[in-house]
Amino acid sequence: MTLSALNADVIVDQLNAGEVTATDCVQHFLDRIQVHNAELNAFIRVSESALEQAQAIDQRRKAGESLGCLAGLPIAIKDGICVSGQPTTAGSKMLENFSPPYDATIVERLKSADAIIIGKTNMDEFAMGSSTENSFFGPTNNPWATNRVPGGSSGGSAACVAARLAPVAIGSDTGGSIRQPASFCGITGLKPTYGRVSRYGLIAFASSLDQIGPMTRTAKESALLMSVIAGFDPRDSTSSKEQVSDFLTGLETPLAGLRIGVCRDHLNEGLDVEVKTKINDAISVFKQLGANIEEIELPQTKSAIAAYYIIAPCEASSNLARYDGVRYTFRAQANDLEEMYRNTRGQGFGDEVKQRIMLGTYALSSGYYEAYYLKASKVRRMIKQDYDEAFKKVDLILGPTTPTPAFKLGQHTRDPLAMYLADIYTVSANLAGIPAISVPVEPSSTGLPIGLQLQGRAFEENTLLRAAHQFQNETLWHTASPSEPWRTQS
Amino acid sequence: MEDTVLNPTSSPQSSNRRAVRFDDTQIIIGLEVHVQLDTDSKLFCGCSTRFGEAANSQTCVVCTGMPGALPVINQRALELSIRAGLSLNCQIARSTKWDRKNYFYPDLPKGYQISQFDQPICGPGHLDIETSETTGQARRIRIERAHLEEDAGKSIHDESSRRQDSKIDLNRTGTPLLEIVTQPDIRTAAEAKAFLSELKLILNYIDVSDCNMQQGNLRCDANVNLHIPLGDEQIATPIVEIKNLNSFRAVERSITHEAQRQFEAWQEHGLTIADAPKQTRGWNDHTQTTTLQREKEDSADYRYFPDPDLIAVKIEESQIQEIESQLEQLPADLRKLLAEQYNLKSADASVIVSQGRGVVDYFLEVADGCEDSKIANNWIGQEVLRQLNESSQTIEQYPVSPQQFTDLLKLVIAGTLDQTRGKEVLNAMVADCISPEEAIEQLGIKPVDNNELVSLCEKLIDENQDVVEQIQSGNGKAIGMLIGKARKINPNANPGLVKAMLTKMISA
Amino acid sequence: MPETPEQPTVNQVAKLARIHLDEQQLTSSGEKLKQILEFVSQLEQAELPKDIEPFFGAIESVNAIREDNLQTSVPREKILDNAPESDGEFYLVPPVFRNTDS
Repeated sequence: MTLSALNADVIVDQLNAGEVTATDCVQHFLDRIQVHNAELNAFIRVSESALEQAQAIDQRRKAGESLGCLAGLPIAIKDGICVSGQPTTAGSKMLENFSPPYDATIVERLKSADAIIIGKTNMDEFAMGSSTENSFFGPTNNPWATNRVPGGSSGGSAACVAARLAPVAIGSDTGGSIRQPASFCGITGLKPTYGRVSRYGLIAFASSLDQIGPMTRTAKESALLMSVIAGFDPRDSTSSKEQVSDFLTGLETPLAGLRIGVCRDHLNEGLDVEVKTKINDAISVFKQLGANIEEIELPQTKSAIAAYYIIAPCEASSNLARYDGVRYTFRAQANDLEEMYRNTRGQGFGDEVKQRIMLGTYALSSGYYEAYYLKASKVRRMIKQDYDEAFKKVDLILGPTTPTPAFKLGQHTRDPLAMYLADIYTVSANLAGIPAISVPVEPSSTGLPIGLQLQGRAFEENTLLRAAHQFQNETLWHTASPSEPWRTQS
Repeated sequence: MEDTVLNPTSSPQSSNRRAVRFDDTQIIIGLEVHVQLDTDSKLFCGCSTRFGEAANSQTCVVCTGMPGALPVINQRALELSIRAGLSLNCQIARSTKWDRKNYFYPDLPKGYQISQFDQPICGPGHLDIETSETTGQARRIRIERAHLEEDAGKSIHDESSRRQDSKIDLNRTGTPLLEIVTQPDIRTAAEAKAFLSELKLILNYIDVSDCNMQQGNLRCDANVNLHIPLGDEQIATPIVEIKNLNSFRAVERSITHEAQRQFEAWQEHGLTIADAPKQTRGWNDHTQTTTLQREKEDSADYRYFPDPDLIAVKIEESQIQEIESQLEQLPADLRKLLAEQYNLKSADASVIVSQGRGVVDYFLEVADGCEDSKIANNWIGQEVLRQLNESSQTIEQYPVSPQQFTDLLKLVIAGTLDQTRGKEVLNAMVADCISPEEAIEQLGIKPVDNNELVSLCEKLIDENQDVVEQIQSGNGKAIGMLIGKARKINPNANPGLVKAMLTKMISA
Repeated sequence: MPETPEQPTVNQVAKLARIHLDEQQLTSSGEKLKQILEFVSQLEQAELPKDIEPFFGAIESVNAIREDNLQTSVPREKILDNAPESDGEFYLVPPVFRNTDS
């Protein structure tokens, strides 16, 4: 079996056993990127020093040094996460040449584990979007159908893993930006509990919603990455001190007795017929695995998108005020300071980003705080309470990740509202702060991936991963790969 | 800042206005004071707060607002804020949080300042002040609130041609500031100065801040308007915020100037607080006037909202009590102690206390040691302070220890040394870092025995018959001349004893 | 959309946000804004219990506070490295053409 067909945990085992060198491993993926990235545009930048780092790992291993638990594993990182000494662009012209003088905390942890960062992946600009069409560096194509979007904003990471240009990737999720692209690209994407993974070094979009998470083929690989990146960080005030247990143990524990809630409303209106069918099929699988399926209600779902599209733009409008041409960004020509601000931000930001800044600025402006941000934050409390209530009855909530499979490039760009509404199943988890995972179910009849979402109680990623893992033991949808030329040899 | 609107509606005739006297008006003053807290590191990151370092050498990803950087609040800044609040009799919040104040300026890296809007760490309090005009009568100035926020950087604008770029130094960004806002209770420029002086003294005493305006760790804006009696009504002039004040003296002078300017403007135009919005004027030290600053567009829309990168801080009752129990005695308490238990006049007590805790402790030790607080006060309040001033030393650096000083004063009290000789001894002690005994020996001070004294006086009388005659004919003061001569011949002669003996001999 | 006497125009919002938009962009942005605001205004209808506290996201468990310890700052040349314009000591920005004294 070629390397790219193997899961990360198997690759790591082989590296540890000396069956393959880090150099060969990295070279293998660099070759694939070389061949396939042009058509996919999954990577904004491929690391120039990856091979060198791999060689260093091999030498250290030879010298008998003890190495980190991911030693030699190539990993792709969404370009909204700071990696020092090379450009971190957030998919924007504004930061096209920004080279951070520091590593994000999760990058530090991955480097400590001796993982090898193979490149930075494409994304919607400043994480604002659901299709990766809003990138300054051009859209990413869905490896399953190159005329379709990979989802967003972590579209590059999703495409990269689906096309096996790297075994695993890191993304970020504010309203669904890990889970939705995972769903569109047929991979597994986890948004951890808010505060579970440090945001230090993640270029902020909406501070109270953003989380970094793993994007992999399987839940087991997701658990492997979580065991490295999760945990309290004193540099992030919103980081949780909640104990981090080993995410890998307990994956095999059977699901007998697990209570899974299904929200009837989510499987009715607006849902693509095929999605509905495949999700229902998946529910049967969980029943077979011993889980009890119950009906639950999440009445505030109807207000979730509105609350999200107030809170996120408000926070974003403030978070993006620092991009003013003074200290580290692109700077436009101007005669005086005010002109410099306005031209820099007019030219440096794309349309969607500007639109959301305008929306957020309006909603926070004099006299509107109570009507918008405060009101939305109260609705947010209600949404959280919905989940608290539901989790008294069930341990997990199951439903579709997205209403439809991947849409075509250009399909929604004229109608932002339509795009926003497609976030209906994912935004609530961000608003409530709970963890959620998307795993592939049977694809559509035209071969497009479909994702199933599981949501869990705060800090109970273990339960999510366990259920996802058992599901993946039982089904094979996560092993499917896009047709040639990306198909990997088994 | 709210000002009570007294009677805004009618605008009387100009001649009526001109009949009003300035002295009949009331000046209403409120102060907004920004105090830099004396922490080692900044409010949200570990960069140093040290003043005067090379531009942009004390910054990091957090305080320059780089993408992905996050703030974490400094424990000591919280503690110092609570200390300051307690010393100003403020209510301390049990739960406090931070908000973003959004605006664009090149020395504000994040495009927002992390400040506090609706849950400041310190609530209402007060500070009692005295001025020379109101000695003995404390005036209570109410504090509205004090909140903890981060400082911005510094912009250096090109004053000359206006085409040159401005230079930005971000060293100061992120330094912790406590913004203290008073109610408009201050009534004179002198009171404003007294308020600032006392505030500075208190914050020095409790090690919260140096409050040095020249170094920028205390900044002050003054809000000023007038209440003018006109017939049966009280008219209020529009409020003016005065900025760019670089010293306490500037605060005082700008208020005096502004009050006069507002009065004249009102006499001319009759505009009241209802007619015009709050104005901002800058103080110009060269011209000693305030000038209108052009209004910034959208200046008021800060779009405050809770900072999602920070969580609320809960302050326990026990924490507050612990800080309170460790709080040093405040200047007001020490002035009272010196006046009541050491019988100092309140002016003298103020002088000692205003010099800082070190001088107070020095005084107390000496006064207790020699058991004569009056003498201790005379010597410390005058000699020591003068010497410290001249040599630019602190009391901690003063070469004479409290014990040695006590020993010296005991000699003076016993009469072994007279005032003049005593001062000479002190000077020697300071100059050579020696004890009183060593100084006495070094100066060759010896007691003069009675025989020597007798022969000295006889000699003086012999050689100065003309003076003796003057004394005998009633000019008692002339004896001073003889005493002076006696000391020249023998510096160890005690003037008191010489005077007594001469008097006895002359009248005999 | 809540109607208040001082409802900002698209132009004013763009100014507040320091974003230059040309005529066409202003119009287009205005239309989109209106559309989205109409949509999110549905929250006005949301019935909330009177005493409901807002939820701002962070898990409100323990105070997040650090000790007053010094950390090494980023060396000046490194921190100025990304600056669009600098003289090696300061960030340089175009002048503000205003008559302020501060």
